[in-house]
Amino acid sequence: MLRFLIRRTLGAAVILLIISALVFVLFYAAPRDPARIACGKVCTPETLALVKKNLGIDHPLPVQYWDWLKGLFVGRDYTSFGHCDAPCLGYSFQNREPVLSTILDRFPATISLALGSSVVFLVFGIGTGMLAAVKQGKALDKVASSASLIASSMQIYVVGVFATYLLVDQLHWLDRANYTPFTSDPVGWAQGLLVPWLVLSLIFTANYTRMTRSQMVESMSEDYVRTARAKGLSRRTVFFRFAWRGAMGPIITIFGLDLGTLLGGAIITEQTFSIQGLGRLSVKAVSTNDLPMLLGVVLVAAAAIVVFNIVVDAVYALIDPRVRLA
Amino acid sequence: MSLSRRNFVIATSVAAAGSTLLSACSSGNAGGSGSTPSDGATSYTGAKVTVGTKEDSTGPAPEIAGAKKGGTIYGLAPDDFSHLDPQRIYYAYNSTAALLLHRCLTGYKIDSTGHQKLVGDLATDTGTPSADNKTWTFTLKEGLKWEDGSELTVEDVRHGIERSWASFITEGANYVQSALTGKGGKWRDAYEGPYKGKHLDSIVTDKAKRTITFKLAEAKPDFNFTLAMHSYAAVSPKLDTKEKYDKKPAACGPYKIKAHTTDKSMVLTRNKYWDPATDSIRNAYPDGFEFDFGIETLDSTDRLIADQGKDQYAVSIYKGVPAERIQKVLTDPELKKRSFNGLLTGIYYYAINTKRVTDLKVRQALNHAWPLQQIRQIYGGPSAGDFATSILSPDVIGYKQYDAYGKLKTPQGDPAAAKKLLKEAGKEGMKIVYAYPQDPTYDKTKVVIENALKAAGFTPVIKAVDSTSYYDQIQQIDNSYDVMWFGWSPDWPTAYTVVQPLFDGGAIGNGMNNISQTNIPWINDGIKKNAVIADQAKAGEAWQALDERIMKEVAPIIPETFSRRYYVYGSKVGGAQFDPNFSATLLYKTFVKA
Repeated sequence: MLRFLIRRTLGAAVILLIISALVFVLFYAAPRDPARIACGKVCTPETLALVKKNLGIDHPLPVQYWDWLKGLFVGRDYTSFGHCDAPCLGYSFQNREPVLSTILDRFPATISLALGSSVVFLVFGIGTGMLAAVKQGKALDKVASSASLIASSMQIYVVGVFATYLLVDQLHWLDRANYTPFTSDPVGWAQGLLVPWLVLSLIFTANYTRMTRSQMVESMSEDYVRTARAKGLSRRTVFFRFAWRGAMGPIITIFGLDLGTLLGGAIITEQTFSIQGLGRLSVKAVSTNDLPMLLGVVLVAAAAIVVFNIVVDAVYALIDPRVRLA
Repeated sequence: MSLSRRNFVIATSVAAAGSTLLSACSSGNAGGSGSTPSDGATSYTGAKVTVGTKEDSTGPAPEIAGAKKGGTIYGLAPDDFSHLDPQRIYYAYNSTAALLLHRCLTGYKIDSTGHQKLVGDLATDTGTPSADNKTWTFTLKEGLKWEDGSELTVEDVRHGIERSWASFITEGANYVQSALTGKGGKWRDAYEGPYKGKHLDSIVTDKAKRTITFKLAEAKPDFNFTLAMHSYAAVSPKLDTKEKYDKKPAACGPYKIKAHTTDKSMVLTRNKYWDPATDSIRNAYPDGFEFDFGIETLDSTDRLIADQGKDQYAVSIYKGVPAERIQKVLTDPELKKRSFNGLLTGIYYYAINTKRVTDLKVRQALNHAWPLQQIRQIYGGPSAGDFATSILSPDVIGYKQYDAYGKLKTPQGDPAAAKKLLKEAGKEGMKIVYAYPQDPTYDKTKVVIENALKAAGFTPVIKAVDSTSYYDQIQQIDNSYDVMWFGWSPDWPTAYTVVQPLFDGGAIGNGMNNISQTNIPWINDGIKKNAVIADQAKAGEAWQALDERIMKEVAPIIPETFSRRYYVYGSKVGGAQFDPNFSATLLYKTFVKA
């Protein structure tokens, strides 16, 4: 296991390095100049040069990238901002705040959104999927399958606006979406995120229902399940100990990827509910040519996906003894 | 609409509104006849600007009927203010905060109808020019203080201007710097800034007499308007924290910053050292303001419409009602009562590259062909704004409506007239490359433009340009575009700030705004001549004549719309009205209803 983790961690570091280099190159390959935004309405070449110097982008691309990489390990000094301690992801071109502290400030909102909705969609998605598998071909199965088909074709920005209108503005059942840190008010945290959790999980629940159902149905027709039945094991034991365990492998794989993606920022959900998470931060970084912020957010998102891939591989081995961490 | 780039040019302008200005010595009211901007009307067409007297400049500001002190007004916005350091302020939305925190020598006193007077803000009046308009003297009011209780002096006013030379300040306006040094765009070469103890020779202060005198390199009859820009607000050398000032500037206005979490929230509380007797502009009824950032415009609009809890005391700071909710606001009587609207300063238009489209008849044909009505329909119909037919907008002194290409009669475009002109020019089937910033709205307007060009006998080639680099690309003088979407807003209500940057031959260059690339002697001469006319009412007439002549004899642009913006606010907010300068909610006039 240790060898596996070391090898995968080193691989992840290489992947992140490649991603950061790619973002750097792609950013400058686009015909856009981040200095132009800070250059005022009448942007003379002299002022533009001054802005570039202030932003630290007056050097050749490889030098800029090297400076950025160095900053991660030894910190960095800026003319305009002073010293930035390691690990330094730089200063935002847009709001002139340290990138790392901005990301750390936004990450709790994204984690809250991702974990809360994950609980909802896993419980309801897997639960409904299993029920549908048990009642295969019956009314419950048909209703669950149809409902999941409809739900999976919904768009968050439509459902979100409708849910707010109905549940918040008209019925006054739930609070308007907002993010309160868990540490300052756990109840307010849950109340403010309940509508986004429900909306975000609606689409995921549908997917997990369909996936769980099909995996369970497939698993129940496997030889080892039939053997278990033939040996006279109870229906419950066969279902949970054999069929369920066999079906969970692919679901865990997909969940790992989904959670990693969600931790990189649920862009549309955050946008719809005006929640200040990593997703909105990344959109703003792109639209304002904010390279340091963009690099920071992309790396966090990539790291989340890479890390959860490793976790999934490890968990997979635990669930399915046939898999070994070679 | 996206604030950051679509409005880069038009929204960066710290534009002053009003349709007519009268010189300091005259009076009159030839301005727009708009209805009150605070009554939810849809016909507000701009406001007149006059120059106030010393009495007009004396505080306190006139009371608003029914208003009382106290309470908190909540402000919602999608984005935080990008700058709070006044010298770094150029975007209009930043000025909505600056109005509460900072003060300049002059400012605009706005009445309940949106009409306004230029008055002395820190100064006792709007300044005294020399006979040749090259020297301007202002006297500071007594009792001006900073938020720490220290006295605000003429040296603070000078420091506010001199620190514009600091290398970390690159975003603000540069009119005053150019005027003080006479070096044009090379003004930075003439002075190293105040941080090494040196002062500009062209600013003379007398602390005992509280006077500050500006010696300009050339005549600037409207210099007192220029000084109303927040880029020229006072900053105390003792309270100046240089780069860090942008995060927490010292206030001399009625409010100071109590707390600010970048991109999330800002809390303003009363500046107890601000004396209403020194301020004829700001009412400042609420005890404080609490701003929430990161609220998408549709979300904030829905919250204001729902009018629940704290949102009853809330306003949208600078974002208007989005197109999806305009009809709801206009058709619901209760909501209409809780709304106001106004025209944005400036004009949206299409620049024709005269270096590529060299034939006047072709440019005229483009004007005839352009489908203004279909474009406005995509923007949201008549509520989205008024058709533009001139270079000057209704908020500029001297504006007069004319219709050189029959656009008011045939806003849908006149392909027959266009075809006739093309035939006369021998350019039937001419290729026209139209560039626009890629965006869902302009992706729709390009379709109707393409159809109209085809109907008029052109061969259109449509170029969608990445919106984040759009201005960089069209402001290259060797670009390959014939017609380019653009917008412009004046920095104060004299036409110099429109015609000079857009049509003067000296304003052609990479990164500059004469993207029509007109370099015509009679236009250049006309700009020079009009810029030194002392009587601004007469200057306005001269600028209007130049505007009309340019459109008829050069046709370097296709005017599109004077955009309109609607705001809705909470039911317990009083005094909410349109800020004609910055197209936002005029925060300092709001109050909490009993």
